[in-house]
Amino acid sequence: MEVGTRKLLDRSFTSVGFLAIILMAVSLVILLQPIIIRGGKAFVFKGTVEYRKLMREQFGRGNVEELSMDLEEARLARKPVYDLLDAFENEMKEQDSSFRRQYRADFRELKELLEELLGPREGERRRALIRKQYGQTRHDRSLVKLRHVIYIEGYDYSDTSGMGVKVETPRAELFTGTSLEPLFGILETDIGKMMKPKLTVYWRFLFDKSIDAHFFGGIWPEMLGTFYLAFGAMLFAIPLGIITAIYLAEYAGTGRFVSLIRICISSLAGVPSVVFGLFGLAFFINTVHISSSKSVLVGAMTLALLILPTIIRASEEAILAVPHGFREASMSLGAGKWHTIVRVVLPAALPGILTSTIISLGRAAGETAPIIFTAAVSVGKPLSLFQTFSQPTPALPWNIYNLATEHEAVDEIRHVQYGMVFTLVMMVFLLNLAAIILRARVSKRLRG
Amino acid sequence: MIETPDKINRGDLGRRLMMGAKGKRMRMIGSRIGHSALVLAASSSLLALLFIFYFIIRDAVPFFSLEGVGEFFTSTRWYPSRDEAEFGALAIFIGSGLVTLGAVVFSVPMGVFASLCLSDILPFSLRQVVKPVIEMLAAIPSVVYGFFALVVLAPMLQEKGGSLLAVGAMLVLVPLTIILIVVVSDLTSNLFAENIRKIMRIMTAAIAAAISFFIVLKVYHFMNGLEVSSGTNALNASVMLGIMALPMIVSISEDALNAVGRDLREGSYALGATRAETLVKVVVPAAKSGIVAAVILGVMRAIGETMVVWMASGNASRIPQPWFNLLQPVRTLTATIAGDMGEADHVTGSSRYHVLFVMALCLLVIAFISNLVSELIVRRARKNGR
Repeated sequence: MEVGTRKLLDRSFTSVGFLAIILMAVSLVILLQPIIIRGGKAFVFKGTVEYRKLMREQFGRGNVEELSMDLEEARLARKPVYDLLDAFENEMKEQDSSFRRQYRADFRELKELLEELLGPREGERRRALIRKQYGQTRHDRSLVKLRHVIYIEGYDYSDTSGMGVKVETPRAELFTGTSLEPLFGILETDIGKMMKPKLTVYWRFLFDKSIDAHFFGGIWPEMLGTFYLAFGAMLFAIPLGIITAIYLAEYAGTGRFVSLIRICISSLAGVPSVVFGLFGLAFFINTVHISSSKSVLVGAMTLALLILPTIIRASEEAILAVPHGFREASMSLGAGKWHTIVRVVLPAALPGILTSTIISLGRAAGETAPIIFTAAVSVGKPLSLFQTFSQPTPALPWNIYNLATEHEAVDEIRHVQYGMVFTLVMMVFLLNLAAIILRARVSKRLRG
Repeated sequence: MIETPDKINRGDLGRRLMMGAKGKRMRMIGSRIGHSALVLAASSSLLALLFIFYFIIRDAVPFFSLEGVGEFFTSTRWYPSRDEAEFGALAIFIGSGLVTLGAVVFSVPMGVFASLCLSDILPFSLRQVVKPVIEMLAAIPSVVYGFFALVVLAPMLQEKGGSLLAVGAMLVLVPLTIILIVVVSDLTSNLFAENIRKIMRIMTAAIAAAISFFIVLKVYHFMNGLEVSSGTNALNASVMLGIMALPMIVSISEDALNAVGRDLREGSYALGATRAETLVKVVVPAAKSGIVAAVILGVMRAIGETMVVWMASGNASRIPQPWFNLLQPVRTLTATIAGDMGEADHVTGSSRYHVLFVMALCLLVIAFISNLVSELIVRRARKNGR
């Protein structure tokens, strides 16, 4: 080959390498960007007057006078809409039955959509479900609902070769010539006055209970469940992991038994996470009967098995990284081997061990498959410490799955899903960040 | 939990632990007990693995006595909840394989190139920036990837799947064909005599360019015309799995590449090789075993992953037509276990419950064997290295 070609190949090889790295970074950005932007909206958003009413009635928060003033203004702004509805209803009564038949179904649909947007009208009986007692609490959602009121969505299949094309026709066309026609214009121009959106910071999203299957409120039960599961897993895995690491690093030689153990550790690390879940179900629940059905305790034990290999490996590395001089100095002062390990080696290795435990804490918090059969339920109250021995709990990873796939109104509560994902990702990142900082300090100290 | 003192094996405790414990029997016994406890705790992972195997097998075996072996591995009819239940898992096995294959095709070249770039090409300061990116990719929980696949990627694929695929294919194909044209023209021009070599080179390049332009255009139009009927399909799951497997592949193969000594690289440079030639012909062959181990572990991660495939693959138990059509929904082993256990849980003891353990056993065996293989490869390489 000519030198020119070889150079070109070399350059293109380099650029393919760069491309791979850039693609990796780009995929991280693409992945995180919607999560951060839309997840942030669970915490900071434009809350409507309905949101403030909900907060007042369900949580007892907010200024009563301000709220009643807002409600009064909103009522005034909504009055023309309701007046038009009443006028049309009267018109229907007065006209003949063919008129009624023509408009009845459309009118009922319109009224239902309006109730979804603005909430039930004053003086109507109280709805049973909390989600029906309020209009749209978030302004982005109320704009979506407004669009549903003003336009009728349909699909055009006239082009048979492809998929249907979405078409929107104005709902006003249904009511042309009636007294209801101006309603749509009023709605479009006055939606701001009717909903009175205000920038709201809802940091209590993390610490509020959920109301009516996550339609409103926060994610505290999930947070608490994740916390219990992750720390419970650490409670089992850390002592076992560190003792194993001490044995492997300080006592074990290179015998057959030791290499068997090492193979087992790496195999355990390779077991698919869902298999851990099945094992937890078959062993902890169906055989040992630690609890009669799913419980936090069983979930924590299953997760502990999952993270055990990580902790063992990292702790062993940390122990081996302690300079040999430490041990010799301690021995020369007359300390025994065990004494040396407990008093000298472990304290020196502690930051390294801590790093690994922090990272596996994040892993335990984010694992879903092992807790599906052992610990997680979709809806539940926050548990007290004592209840964790016998009761299942909601947990962030499982509820992300559950809300995104099995919830009855998946699209309505996207902000809750994104909020949960955002919280989980931030939790894991903060833990990793802490680990990275700790590691940097350790390596500086061991070097110095 | 596991350290019951009556199980202590006193046979292999030859060494004394405490210095200066001569004659003090109590201390001797104490140290022996301590040591045994250590051994016992250390064998907890051995016990855990044994227990996992035992209990998965224990609940898997009844399925074969209830339903036989043949149907499970050969039939594609998966109807576990019918009265006349059918448990043909062939399509599920193929689904798992297909999704994993897609992930491998995507992540192995990218992962190996990225690790080469990290170990040999990037300057140290940039490496410090890239490392956290990889660590972040590894730290993100799988359910977050699944959520992204379901909520963001799937609608995107469904709406503009064809054009996305076309752009992706162009990103790969165009640079590749340009390199190929140059290389081909260089190689073929050597066949001609010295005086016409330059002209022939230009001519072959022009011909190759024309042909490949035509082919690339065809591919583009084909891709652009593709319609994705469902955004949750094998491709979606493959891409997500590929991204998830990347950090593992990159970090392990980078370790392997770094373990190749400087002297090998310098020797190659001294002979006049370019960096690409050094990497391809010297460094990669020397680190081969480590890279293979990394790929095996990455594949294992993809096979064993649950949440992403459950949310992104569409969960349809049928073999895609043709089999490599990644745009159709598939169902995988892990997703089937996760999805069906919720209902099968109530009928403990039925074949519907046990069949899931059979699947778990298959996963476990695959994972165990591939782990052993990768361990073996690494060990042999280490021995040879010494």
